[in-house]
Amino acid sequence: MARAGYLALGIFIIGCLWEAAIAIFALPPFILPPLASIGGAIWSEFPFLMRGLRATLTVAGAGYAVGAVAAILLALSMVLVPTIERVVKPVIVAINSVPVVAYAPLCLVWFGMGPASKIAMVILAAGFTVFVNALQGLQSVDAAGVNLLRSFGAGPFRIAWMLRLPAALPAIITGLRVAVVRSMIIAIVAEMLGAYEGLGRIIYESTQQIEFLTLWAAIIVASTASMIAYGILVVIDRRLVWWK
Amino acid sequence: MAGSALDRVETDKPYEALAVTGKAEASAGSPIIELAQLTKTFDSSGQKVVAIEGVDLAVRPGEFVTLVGPSGCGKSTLFNIVSGLLDADTGGKIHFKGEERQGKELLGTVSFMPQRDLLLPWRRVIDNAVIALEVEGMRRKEAREKAQVMFQEFGLAGFERHYPHQLSGGMRQRVALMRTFLFERDLMLLDEPFGALDALTRVMMQRWLLGIWQRHRRSILFITHDVDEAIFLGDRVVVMTARPGRIKLSREIDLPRPRDPHVTTTPEFLAIKADLMEAIEEESMKSFMSQDERG
Repeated sequence: MARAGYLALGIFIIGCLWEAAIAIFALPPFILPPLASIGGAIWSEFPFLMRGLRATLTVAGAGYAVGAVAAILLALSMVLVPTIERVVKPVIVAINSVPVVAYAPLCLVWFGMGPASKIAMVILAAGFTVFVNALQGLQSVDAAGVNLLRSFGAGPFRIAWMLRLPAALPAIITGLRVAVVRSMIIAIVAEMLGAYEGLGRIIYESTQQIEFLTLWAAIIVASTASMIAYGILVVIDRRLVWWK
Repeated sequence: MAGSALDRVETDKPYEALAVTGKAEASAGSPIIELAQLTKTFDSSGQKVVAIEGVDLAVRPGEFVTLVGPSGCGKSTLFNIVSGLLDADTGGKIHFKGEERQGKELLGTVSFMPQRDLLLPWRRVIDNAVIALEVEGMRRKEAREKAQVMFQEFGLAGFERHYPHQLSGGMRQRVALMRTFLFERDLMLLDEPFGALDALTRVMMQRWLLGIWQRHRRSILFITHDVDEAIFLGDRVVVMTARPGRIKLSREIDLPRPRDPHVTTTPEFLAIKADLMEAIEEESMKSFMSQDERG
């Protein structure tokens, strides 16, 4: 609850500075519009913004889910079969040593202007974030604990299920939390580079048409959605990893 | 918290209950495990380190053998080999209940308790205790029922549904011991189980362990640094040499059982201690000197 209070206070302070800047420097609306008119734009274009948000959330959510599951399975397979790590990990790192956005043109060529190309990019970005954390978590399990289970006759699968996965849970959830925000960012950027719909598309088009109020409205909707998604993950973290 | 739980154990199980002696059965039967000429060499960045060398050791059914030696004498290496976690060098032999076994074949045949309690923080006390049963494929409900009856005896009644972080060090150690006991094997390896406890709690735990052992009749191989502990608990004390670890001396402890804590101040006890201390000090000095040379 205290957190929500601080958040409200932070937003309030930024709002004050915002309005003060407009008043002091006499900024024209296309540089910085008054908050009231942004609020008005959100209100009047609400259905339009929500359609965009729905498209963006679909892309971010689908890519996030597929990427996270694939990343955890991949990390798990690497722990169970170290050869997989030696072969596949360098490839994954190489792919991700380039900003994901660099693959946008290729993705558009391969998967078209529809949601598939955006989902592919989110899978790549979110998946990598989760993968790095999951692998690190699964591998940094106490060797003595592994030996104890082995002495009871447990095989690698059982050790992964009883010890490695729960022990790696805090690291995995940290990865999932960071990946939420990354998914939204990548989805929006990907939409700006070529899409039929979505918040990124709205941001891109309203810039082209010098519709700054719509631009700001879209940014605020995107930011709010990201923060809510992040908040949900924080709650899940506390529920699942109560022992830390 | 630990104190009150221990009190409960003692009032429930008065000392007379421990009147069965371990000796008669201990000497009967062929060894449960027999180690012959076990050697283990580690290769650390090209440098060969011999951890243990030519270790011969046998534990009879129901016998309580304590193992003392200077730090770094390879006691834990020996345990890892006996529990199947580590392969010994070729040439040594391990016979378990008369059958020759080596390396991984020993996994799951002895119940092993490492130095740290290694309780899983996300599992309740009872679910930590039954983890070996779960590995064996028992359903959790059945395993819990089996464990439930032991909580009183282990001084943990009422703590079944607590989490490990809510327990004191002594209680955590007893949960770890219960986990080891529930993995019902004829030989138990205990690696300094009371090393991290304060002196008072440790004495309580020693008395309590003897009580449990005399009721359950398992063979125990027990590592410790503490000579008093080794003599107080053991039917036999085995002294290891400084690295490379060898068996220097094996001495039967003929103090009568059940042993009262006051036994540690009797002349018989002190005479045994003087003997063993001499052997151990010689070895500690050696390992101390060799560290000096290296430094």
